[in-house]
Amino acid sequence: MDHEAILDLWKSYDRQLAESLALNRQNAEDITRMKVQSFITAMKPTKIFTILVGALWVGLGSVVVFNIFLFSFAEASLFFLFSATIQIALTALALLIYLQQLVTLYQLDLSGPILLVQEKLAGLKNSTLWIARILLLQLPLWTVFYWNKSMLENGSLGWYLIQLVVTGSFTYLAGWLFFNIKYENRHKKWFQLIFHGKEWTPLMKAMDLLEQIADYKMDK
Amino acid sequence: MKRNTQTFLAVIESNKAIIYKIAKSYCSQEDNKEDLIQDIVVQLWLSFHKYDETYKLTTWIYRIALNVAISFYRKESRRDGINRGLPAEILHFQEEEAALDRQAAVEQLYGFIQELREMDRAIMLLYLEEHSQQEIAEILGLSPTNVSTKVSRIKQQLKQKFSTLKD
Repeated sequence: MDHEAILDLWKSYDRQLAESLALNRQNAEDITRMKVQSFITAMKPTKIFTILVGALWVGLGSVVVFNIFLFSFAEASLFFLFSATIQIALTALALLIYLQQLVTLYQLDLSGPILLVQEKLAGLKNSTLWIARILLLQLPLWTVFYWNKSMLENGSLGWYLIQLVVTGSFTYLAGWLFFNIKYENRHKKWFQLIFHGKEWTPLMKAMDLLEQIADYKMDK
Repeated sequence: MKRNTQTFLAVIESNKAIIYKIAKSYCSQEDNKEDLIQDIVVQLWLSFHKYDETYKLTTWIYRIALNVAISFYRKESRRDGINRGLPAEILHFQEEEAALDRQAAVEQLYGFIQELREMDRAIMLLYLEEHSQQEIAEILGLSPTNVSTKVSRIKQQLKQKFSTLKD
């Protein structure tokens, strides 16, 4: 079958569609009763829930930490105070990226050129990787927040060794993941092990789309 | 152009085939195809008041429909969010009325389109619809030269695929 025959086939199929394709006017009309939604009403309940929980955690955490800094700094465990401060700051940063993603998504004009719109959309999905990288940086904090002066002064050699190994490996892991969780490593086995499952499929598809867009740009 | 319900329904009526073909190219499953058609019509309606008449109406429809179709993967579950509660079927095609041999060839063509990567599918569809390279470039946001390279590459693939089919 040559190109002309294929185009003819498509044209005749188009004529057939014009004759047999029926628009359900009632269902289409129902859609026109929809109003342009506000940013808040356009969000899914799960997204609102995530933002609320995140904001609550950061808000309450900030109040506790500020109070300690202001009124009981001398008596406080510095390990707890600094671990909590860094943890709250990292969570706040991740929350800000998440909010920025949602606002950009809401403002996106879908009638723009395909390459531009898709690059923005896939880029947004891909920025989820930044959220994962930032949140994983907290790992070592969970191994030191409960330390205190007396533990350090009275600890045995075994205790020091265990703490050193645990905190050291968590610090190394957090740093390694921070520098290696990136688009370029999406084909590696460890990456697919972390980001496998249904909930990550859109992210993997977004990365595939970014690759296609990069190919198109190279052709330019 | 008036931006009311009647005008919108007339726009959808005269361009329903474009929406149907794009949905069928990006979704092989019937349920997902219906949801995609609905998503496209919803987005067309939500953008209708912003339609810039300096562009052709079909350019605007192609851009929105293709953008929705290509990013359909983003939805973690179908029939969720904005289209929750809306009736599913907007376009109905009675395929049994079609000539069987032609329908088989068309299905084979769709099969080929669905094997292509998302961006190439858009080019393939616009090529089959016989849009000029300038129009394809405008819809996709590419240069006409780039479109020309892509189209000839896809034509080669198409030729290979259909070499076994008799006229």
